[in-house]
Amino acid sequence: MNKRFLMKAILGLSLALGLPLAAHAEDTLAKVKSAGVLKVGTETAFAPFDFIDETGAHAGLNVDLFDEIGKELGVKIQWVALPWDGVLPGLEAGQFDMVAGPATITKARVERYRFTVPIAEATVALLKRAGDDTIQKPEDIAGKLVGAGKATAQLKQLQDYGKTLPKPVETREYVGYNEAYADLAAGRIVAVANSLPNIAFVAQKQPDTFAVVKPAFGQPSYFGYIGTKKPEDQSLIDAVDAAILKLKKNGSMAKLQEKWFGTTFDTPDTVPTPKV
Amino acid sequence: MSWRLFDLMLWAAGYTVLLSGISIAIGLTLGLLVCAAKLSTSRLLSAPATVFISFFRGVPLLVQLLLIYNLLPQIGIMVPSVVAAILGLSLCTAAYQAENLRGGFNSVPKGLLEAADMVGLSPWQQLTRIRAPIAFRLTLPALVNEAILILKASSLISVVGVIELTRMAQNLAASTYKPLLFYSVAGGLYLVICWTLAGGGALAERLTRTHRA
Amino acid sequence: MSLDFGLILKQMPDILSGLWVTLWMWIVATLLGAALGFLVAVGRRYGPAPLDWLLKLCVEMLRGTPFLVQLFLLYFGGPFIGLRLEPIPAGLLGLTVYAAAYFSEIFRAGFQAVPKGHVEAADMAGLSRAQILRRIILPEMTMLVLPQCVNMAIVLIKETAILSIITVPEMTMVIGAIGSQQYAFVDAMFLLAIIYWVLVEICGFLGRLAEARLSKFRFAAS
Repeated sequence: MNKRFLMKAILGLSLALGLPLAAHAEDTLAKVKSAGVLKVGTETAFAPFDFIDETGAHAGLNVDLFDEIGKELGVKIQWVALPWDGVLPGLEAGQFDMVAGPATITKARVERYRFTVPIAEATVALLKRAGDDTIQKPEDIAGKLVGAGKATAQLKQLQDYGKTLPKPVETREYVGYNEAYADLAAGRIVAVANSLPNIAFVAQKQPDTFAVVKPAFGQPSYFGYIGTKKPEDQSLIDAVDAAILKLKKNGSMAKLQEKWFGTTFDTPDTVPTPKV
Repeated sequence: MSWRLFDLMLWAAGYTVLLSGISIAIGLTLGLLVCAAKLSTSRLLSAPATVFISFFRGVPLLVQLLLIYNLLPQIGIMVPSVVAAILGLSLCTAAYQAENLRGGFNSVPKGLLEAADMVGLSPWQQLTRIRAPIAFRLTLPALVNEAILILKASSLISVVGVIELTRMAQNLAASTYKPLLFYSVAGGLYLVICWTLAGGGALAERLTRTHRA
Repeated sequence: MSLDFGLILKQMPDILSGLWVTLWMWIVATLLGAALGFLVAVGRRYGPAPLDWLLKLCVEMLRGTPFLVQLFLLYFGGPFIGLRLEPIPAGLLGLTVYAAAYFSEIFRAGFQAVPKGHVEAADMAGLSRAQILRRIILPEMTMLVLPQCVNMAIVLIKETAILSIITVPEMTMVIGAIGSQQYAFVDAMFLLAIIYWVLVEICGFLGRLAEARLSKFRFAAS
């Protein structure tokens, strides 16, 4: 099949149907405000940032923080929950105005996306089974099977770190982190690599099952929310940035971090140059 | 499992049925058109129908859904999650239903049509009075089967951001650490729906058969 | 948009390994599923009534639930009842059992379609039950069930894409991951669609070829 032919066929069809083809560069912030709705793409398997709680409700730092951001912008938040590997493609396809996640601020991503100011630390560490004495420090995963989320920065860091060890680390890529934790509990893998705030939350929720391996093995890094680099989207991310900074200043951010992480993070007020 | 969580599962099951039902209806309509095009003597009509049927039967639904969700917006057609899900399911089932219908139309006894010709029925009358009713009855079991297939296939639409029964079970399995319970409940709900459909289909078949006598 | 297949083709070794996993798991699950399905069909036809009911219940449960839910139950629920399978064995087992349910129904219909007269005649001629099955029913049935078996094989190759969700490193998993890494998600999905489409068309072609080759047996069933 000739892909160009198919593209032309689809193009022709959409023309025939009189659908608007040219993506007109209407300012996204203005569009969001006039619609009164900010569409945010996210993944709900990333506790405590974004998850489904025991009552089946959508909860986490993202939900609380975007409620506040929504108030600042005077809009309602509409969530679109996808498996993580579909979230960034969805943003690029224009399915939502921005992405919550959050996502680790990395060199590769900074080149392609516009990040908001950091909202939490993202340094990667390992989660192991409670009572597993074979893993005392990060190096102990050499030659073993470790899980991480598909299409995540954490997976990339795990792979890079694995190469520095005497025996390479084997990795397994999960559609969502919940499945990786379940597999760790089931004993199919020896550890899960995820950011410290995530795994600290999981270990604290289930201390009989999981434990954090200290210290973190990854380079210091931060979490931010993501928008595109399209010119028309910049005003929106600027506004979200301003809202986050305001929440940091008036202490709401610290309260939310305390609520979800049991601690506060000292995050920079601008997007830092990523080390990873 | 608390009642609140069971309610959520029931709600998700209802949503699954709703989306599948809409997709089946659209798919049947579209399938009729594709079938008509495929049966047409003009290659201009039958060739695209052949490609349509081959493509949507030859590509996994998972891939179709991701393509619809991510490709169409890039060429200016906005498809929100629910629309992408319905579109994916509809196009997929349309390809199968077109083939089923074609089988049905081809099985209408030639003698009946010749007889209809003799008594002077117009081609349109032949279609509405003879061919369509017979083809419908012949393809009814296949239609019920297709409805069951689409209902089960809808377990994949969460990849484009729709929370249906399977995704709900997955979410609750993770938040309560009880995968066995929630996946079993989801399986049970699918069974109830599928068996109801199958039972209803068998009943409809019996009814249309007595109608013939 | 920039459809750039060159980028993806650079990862050819990974793609081929994914294709290999897809192909062997598909073929093994199809063959094992057909064999198991045949046993189930025989068990239901010739076994005692309770066995028939039990097997019918199993088959209907498998046919009434999505493959994805079955896979989740097996993979994530299994460890809670002491069944801890790695992704590939779990995927293979899940796909085989799923296939067996559908194959058993195809074979059951095949048994029923063999004309009673043929079986009665063989019985009169003094053939044993096993001989009747092997010499009369099977050859006549093969022609009848072949098209449905090919259809089922096609359904199964598409179902293998779902194995990616339990981390089986098959084609959808591998190509999807490359697409994410390279920010070429749509290209990756396009490539996947084309590969599956070609595989399905090849499978259908081989099926029609086999049908033509075996058509000399057709008279037996008519």
